[in-house]
Amino acid sequence: MSDNAQETPRAIRGRAPDVFHPGGWVPMRQHSDDEVVDFAIVGTGAGGGTLACKLAEYGFSVVALDAGPYWRPLEDFASDEHHQAKLYWTDERITDGDDPIQLGSNNCGKSVGGSTVHFAMVSLRFRPEWFKCRSKLGYGADWPLDWREMWTYYAEVEAALKISGPVNYPWGPQRPRYPYRPHELNAAALVLAEGAEALGIGWSPTPLATVSAPRGHSPPCIYRGMCVIGCSTNAKQSVLITWLPRALAAGAEIRDLAMVGRIEHDDNGRATGVHYMREGVWRFQRARNVVVAGYAIETPRLLLHSASSRFPDGLANSSGLVGKNLMVQANQAVWGIMEREIRSYKGPPSLAITEHWNYTDTGKDFFGGYAYMSQGPLPITWSGTQAGKRGLWGQRLLDEMEKYNHQVGLKIVGECQPQERNRVTLTDQKDQYGLPVPRISHSYCDNDKRLIAHSLGFMRRALDATGATEIWDETDDTCHLNGTARMGDDPDSSVVNADCRSWDVPNLWICDGSVFPTVGGVNPSLTIQAIACRTADRIRSMAARGEL
Amino acid sequence: MTRPIPALDLAANLALAGVAALIVVRPRHVTQIAASPLLKRAIANRLAPAPAPPPSPLTKLRELRRLARRYAPTVQAKHRRLTRATGRKLNGSAALLAFSVLTDSAVEHYRGSFQNRAMYTPLIAAAVTLGASLFGLGDTRGQKHTVRDVVYGSAAATGFTGLGFHLYNILKRPGGWSWLNLFYAAPVGAPMALALAGLIGRGAERVRDTAPLDDATVLGMPAGRMLAAVTAAGLAGTVGEAGLLHFRGAYHDPAMLLPVTIPPLASAALAAAALRPGRTINRLARWWLRMTAVLGFAGVGFHAYGVSRNMGGWRNWSQNLLNGPPLPAPPSFTGLALAGLAALTLIEEAETDV
Amino acid sequence: MSERYPGYDVLSKRNSMSWNEQTREVIDQRLALDPDRHLFFSDDEWPTLRALCDRIVPQTTVRPHPIPVAAMVDEKMYTNAGDGYRYASLPAMRETWRRGLAALDAESRDHHRQRFHELEPLQQDAVLKAVQDGQVTNRAWRDLPPKSFFTKRVLHDIVSSYYAHPTSWNEIGFGGPASPRGYVRMNFDRRDPWEASEARPGREQRARRENERVG
Repeated sequence: MSDNAQETPRAIRGRAPDVFHPGGWVPMRQHSDDEVVDFAIVGTGAGGGTLACKLAEYGFSVVALDAGPYWRPLEDFASDEHHQAKLYWTDERITDGDDPIQLGSNNCGKSVGGSTVHFAMVSLRFRPEWFKCRSKLGYGADWPLDWREMWTYYAEVEAALKISGPVNYPWGPQRPRYPYRPHELNAAALVLAEGAEALGIGWSPTPLATVSAPRGHSPPCIYRGMCVIGCSTNAKQSVLITWLPRALAAGAEIRDLAMVGRIEHDDNGRATGVHYMREGVWRFQRARNVVVAGYAIETPRLLLHSASSRFPDGLANSSGLVGKNLMVQANQAVWGIMEREIRSYKGPPSLAITEHWNYTDTGKDFFGGYAYMSQGPLPITWSGTQAGKRGLWGQRLLDEMEKYNHQVGLKIVGECQPQERNRVTLTDQKDQYGLPVPRISHSYCDNDKRLIAHSLGFMRRALDATGATEIWDETDDTCHLNGTARMGDDPDSSVVNADCRSWDVPNLWICDGSVFPTVGGVNPSLTIQAIACRTADRIRSMAARGEL
Repeated sequence: MTRPIPALDLAANLALAGVAALIVVRPRHVTQIAASPLLKRAIANRLAPAPAPPPSPLTKLRELRRLARRYAPTVQAKHRRLTRATGRKLNGSAALLAFSVLTDSAVEHYRGSFQNRAMYTPLIAAAVTLGASLFGLGDTRGQKHTVRDVVYGSAAATGFTGLGFHLYNILKRPGGWSWLNLFYAAPVGAPMALALAGLIGRGAERVRDTAPLDDATVLGMPAGRMLAAVTAAGLAGTVGEAGLLHFRGAYHDPAMLLPVTIPPLASAALAAAALRPGRTINRLARWWLRMTAVLGFAGVGFHAYGVSRNMGGWRNWSQNLLNGPPLPAPPSFTGLALAGLAALTLIEEAETDV
Repeated sequence: MSERYPGYDVLSKRNSMSWNEQTREVIDQRLALDPDRHLFFSDDEWPTLRALCDRIVPQTTVRPHPIPVAAMVDEKMYTNAGDGYRYASLPAMRETWRRGLAALDAESRDHHRQRFHELEPLQQDAVLKAVQDGQVTNRAWRDLPPKSFFTKRVLHDIVSSYYAHPTSWNEIGFGGPASPRGYVRMNFDRRDPWEASEARPGREQRARRENERVG
């Protein structure tokens, strides 16, 4: 048998890979396709993986399917940017619009554990007002969630991931102390701090999902700086090594290399299970409930592709909003050169942050907010920025690249507005599974552009204040994908309710970044996991009342 | 960065630093204070036994017996042996502290790439202090040695200067006086270990120098109680340092609580013994100090295990010895505990002497 | 131009704690790549691609491991290792390359009556600049937007291949593979003994000495 995780499923024959030991296994409960399981979950990332764990721990029978391979980081991850592209979702997708977005590397993962396997581990809470940004701040759409309730779920996730964060977080309402202490700052982060202090705004060590002290089988972070190409030490607290081992221990089954292509429903309009391809064969897993957790592209793609005579526009789409309101986060940067050596390849890429412009409402000519963080691009990524974004090539490129160890940058995670024209649709082109290739259309609106301009101007001042020279703006990059199946209080203007339950198909749930009505100016993974924890609690109480 | 509530660490260290700096820089001044009638009276009042009963023939007899015993040659010899042995013990604990400082500053300043030439200073000072202390340990003669005395004095001075450097290193970083910099900038407490080695060493020399008929004194005060006070303060500071760094490690292992439970009790008991000696409190202090001494050695083992829990374990020593828990740090607890035990011996001797 | 990191060779760490087994395997494969191997591009297209690579990432100095950029691009096309997205304005990745190289030759013939690889470097640069700016004349570009082809394919594929190779890491002083050993010293102007040392003016000799000790 080949042990290539990308070719042959590993989670078979009653066992799953032990992510903490090379070649190791842990026992796994298995279900046959014909067994009607309580929950079939599509996707094992921040939404699906977390939910699978919680539901299994609450005693439900769970089968979680993922299109990606089941890695053991210690044996499968090389210290190599090129090779580790294997973590990305690189199936064909078509990107268009006025500002087409790049996909794959920094926003889509194809692994058990989803893109948390290669995320930058930045673990931030939403600003409380964002949950009611329409009523309180005058833009976007209100969430059907209350921030105080979310605060308790954030705390649960932070505890589960042993977030390493500052002793006191400078912004927002009181939060419990982070379970682990902040990491030491690298020079790139110190530049952010210097700039912030020069301009008189607050800054903080970034709360990160990588441990600063040993935890179980996780050694503390060794500052190898390759977080976004997969952590080969297990210091990173990804879904793969946190929620999923718990899920397996609680009796969940995880099926790797299992691509779900369609959700089936019965004559009453209730979901009956999922069609999935594994080892070259289409199979059908029966389930009492189906959860879609494929992130903001695969989720609407699956729902749209599950259209039937009863649901001609796709499943859960009576509002017509499935696939719409796709929101990226602006990811523009300002770069410069320091006389001092920076060597930003060391340490997690974003060790310092300022959320000043998330929590300040004056001095803005735009709605929404942004955080900005220090950066540590690896060579291929950095050359892509210099060539692709700055247009350099030839000797000029090589000369510029030689300054690698002196370059320093500040990059935003900026809130983009929901727009219905930004959307995911299906094309006629077919992929390797015979499924329609999605088309992703994206254009910034004027508010987005004003936010970007504001951030670039401010970061330029901050970088300038630290003595950096040769400062330039990287004006087009995006990160994170959200929206496309928003939650709300009204079936006409949302796809799911506050419990992530479809308005149209009562036993269909959506649990990932797709449900975000707005994105805020922080990385979404912590919020996705918090919503998953809340959804699990809601499902448990509804099940107890016989309301499923 | 938000500023933390001033840590126990700082308070203890600064207080100690102030006292000790005064001792080193202005010894005469301190002697004056110590010798001032006001203080003497205050201390005398505190320490004075209950008003003496009117002399009776019996008390007179007892007094005679005491004097006879005191001037008996065997007792004198025993007394001399004791001060000498205690002095050597104190030299020994100074040696242990200096060893801890030498290895710890070597590792940490190597980690800091010896960016600043001054970063070699503690290595030299600690090495010389170690040498002098080992010499003292082996030296069976009963009096102080000028070279040792000078070495100890400069070790203490170096320690306090180092504290200044380390504070500057913290304050100049973005965030200034903040948890982050207390965690990762130059540690506040580390240079104090060298200062303590110096102070205890000076104490050792004073004790050795005690004339056969006198009780040992330091700066005009009973040596045992003075040293006990310094050691108790030093232990408190070291506890602060361990507490801070173990907090940085999120107390991820319950064993990390040990240095913030046992040594504080030892420190408190020792301080109490310094203030008001007594059989019970002396014994209590002795036991806690013994446990602290053992803990200091065990700590090396714990830290070695901690290193193994880092990525690559001991095979990756070139990284993990620097980023893992510091192996040389815990023995300073042992050094201080041994000094405390020696101080207790002096206290008890002075007590039985009366 | 003198080297910024004289004597630094990231491969000297190959057997150190900075590399693990899986990394050695992956990098060994890359180093073993035959620079003349082309399984996807035809013999006809091959010289054009090689000339193109030489202009995008010119390798002027002689070094122990020259970077087989063209062969790396060929491998990417041969395995059809996509990036996860395709701009709607461009055809599929492989087709874009085929048509793009043909258009480049056609454009060169229009202006210089020679194929791209037969031009002088300065002429080649001029043609590439025209493609980058969209100032092209040949009909071959009619349904292949030159700017997108240049930025999204030429620069993207060639530059990412170049910087996937250890030789380029030596050039820029990148630490390279780092597991299980990562890094200790993170502050300004600090390097671990297993990192590249920069030849700042006046310390060239010292940098070389330090770089020779990297391992």
